[in-house]
Amino acid sequence: MIRLRDVGLQVGGRTLLGGINASVRTGEFVAVLGANGVGKTTLLRAIAGLHPVDSGSIALDGADAGDLSHAERAKHVALVTGDEVMLDALRVGDVVSIGRFPYHRWWEWRSRSEDEIAVERALRAVRMDGFSDRLFSTLSAGERQRVWIALGLAQETPILLLDEPTSHLDVRSAHDILGFLRALARAGKSVVCALHDVNEAAAYADRIALLCAGRLLATESPEDLLSGPLLERAYDIPMERVRLADGRLRVFAGKGGETTESRPPG
Amino acid sequence: MRLSALRAPALVLLPPAAAAASLLVGATALSPHDVASALFAPHGHGVLHTIVWDLRLPRVCIAATVGAALALCGAMLQGMLRNPLVDPYLTGVSAAAAAAIALAILAGAAAPATPAIGFVAGLGAALLVAALARRGTGIDANRLILAGVSLSTLFAAIVTLAIVRANSSDYAGTILSWLAGSMAGRGWHELAVAAPYVGAGLLLCAWAVAPLNALRIGELRARSVGVDVDRAQWIVLAASSLLAASSVVLAGLVGFIGLIVPHLARRVVGSDARALLPACAAIGAALCMLADAVCRIIVAPAELPIGVLLAFIGVPTFLYLYLRPSPLSGSGGA
Repeated sequence: MIRLRDVGLQVGGRTLLGGINASVRTGEFVAVLGANGVGKTTLLRAIAGLHPVDSGSIALDGADAGDLSHAERAKHVALVTGDEVMLDALRVGDVVSIGRFPYHRWWEWRSRSEDEIAVERALRAVRMDGFSDRLFSTLSAGERQRVWIALGLAQETPILLLDEPTSHLDVRSAHDILGFLRALARAGKSVVCALHDVNEAAAYADRIALLCAGRLLATESPEDLLSGPLLERAYDIPMERVRLADGRLRVFAGKGGETTESRPPG
Repeated sequence: MRLSALRAPALVLLPPAAAAASLLVGATALSPHDVASALFAPHGHGVLHTIVWDLRLPRVCIAATVGAALALCGAMLQGMLRNPLVDPYLTGVSAAAAAAIALAILAGAAAPATPAIGFVAGLGAALLVAALARRGTGIDANRLILAGVSLSTLFAAIVTLAIVRANSSDYAGTILSWLAGSMAGRGWHELAVAAPYVGAGLLLCAWAVAPLNALRIGELRARSVGVDVDRAQWIVLAASSLLAASSVVLAGLVGFIGLIVPHLARRVVGSDARALLPACAAIGAALCMLADAVCRIIVAPAELPIGVLLAFIGVPTFLYLYLRPSPLSGSGGA
């Protein structure tokens, strides 16, 4: 459960986030959409406690995030981010086991059985069991993304935040990962995921939070958001809407307005 | 953390083996029996006792301490800054200590006071570099490197000026012997003076193990899994400054070990700090003890500065090992 009350964040006099009020329930999958630079990543990092907010408050499972220590916060919320340069030659199991950091005091160097179980479970969940001894540098982009998600899962947090987990992935990999995230939400996690593709978000999320210039325009169901006028405002481009034969709505940028009927593929 | 069945015992046995070899070597040839009998009679008398307990054993301990301390510093700073070219003297400790010692020698300060002057100056420089590198509540890695390199250059110029201005070649020779690093003439007293600082540095080093491990996947992700990165940076900086300054007090400026040993240790045990830091301590201590032993005999009765020996032997060895394909990365490098 995440609750944001009037959250604001400025950097160098520039407002990155302002007046954000929102909540994400337990078991809910919320997608965050918006044009490049509107504050999606900043919002996720603020929820994860990596960017201190200047105003308002963020509550994680009822606890004020500002009152939590680093380790306590990491037991509530895990943030999965995109690729970052790593200098060391790490194996997949080593990477995922770092997710157990908040469960150890500084003098507890050894892995416990519950750590090993958590790492195994996380790798199995993303269908990477058997990859534990593989060098991370030898993995494909999709496999790496799964490892980063496994790292977040190994933290065993009730809240999972993901920053563009489908970027650089092919259609199949993106489908697998988003389906998996939706299953995680159904299993009881609160999942918040910044995405670029409006239709991907509509296909998998329970609700979509739409950001524009650091402000939250709306948090609505995919159907309401895609059929309403806010997408045009957020992306500053006309949108064409297509209603598939199974009733789902899809949008395409660039043409504008007209709604047409279409058959689903296959 | 996986170490092969042979590597872990080899690393455990390496320092005692190097210590034993170092105790046997010197101007006076001693048999293993002589050394053992002297070691097991700490309150004994005679020449043999004096050689082992007052000359060689403190020197072996100092070499082990310096080697381990510098290797740990290098590993911690390279891990924290995620830069394989960083060495323990990055924080300006060595250059400031050298400058202060050079000025103290020129000013005619008593010889026993010079290590303490170097220690204080070294820690002062580390604080200054940290202040310059500070960003918010943490440390900016690039600013730390720039501040360290800049101040080191300034202090090196002061050393050069001191050598040029030295009226007597004795002064210049004393300054140069500090710059090249040596354990000659050091004993239990110096070790006792440095021990509390080394102990504090090791304790901070142990605290840094888990954060350093997490930092391997990047600073942002380390923060996300609960690492207080700002605090970890300050602790690593404090630990490395204490250890580097202590090693300067004990042996002057011993180069090479802090830069190279972490790379060698990574080749042996990988980058997991739980294995890497103990491996660095073991390899650094063993390397320094063996190098000191060789320095004592290679041009006897004179002594070769340890920094010179380490550079001549260690650098080609390191390049050979480093440029070979790594079993961990599948390519050259660590």
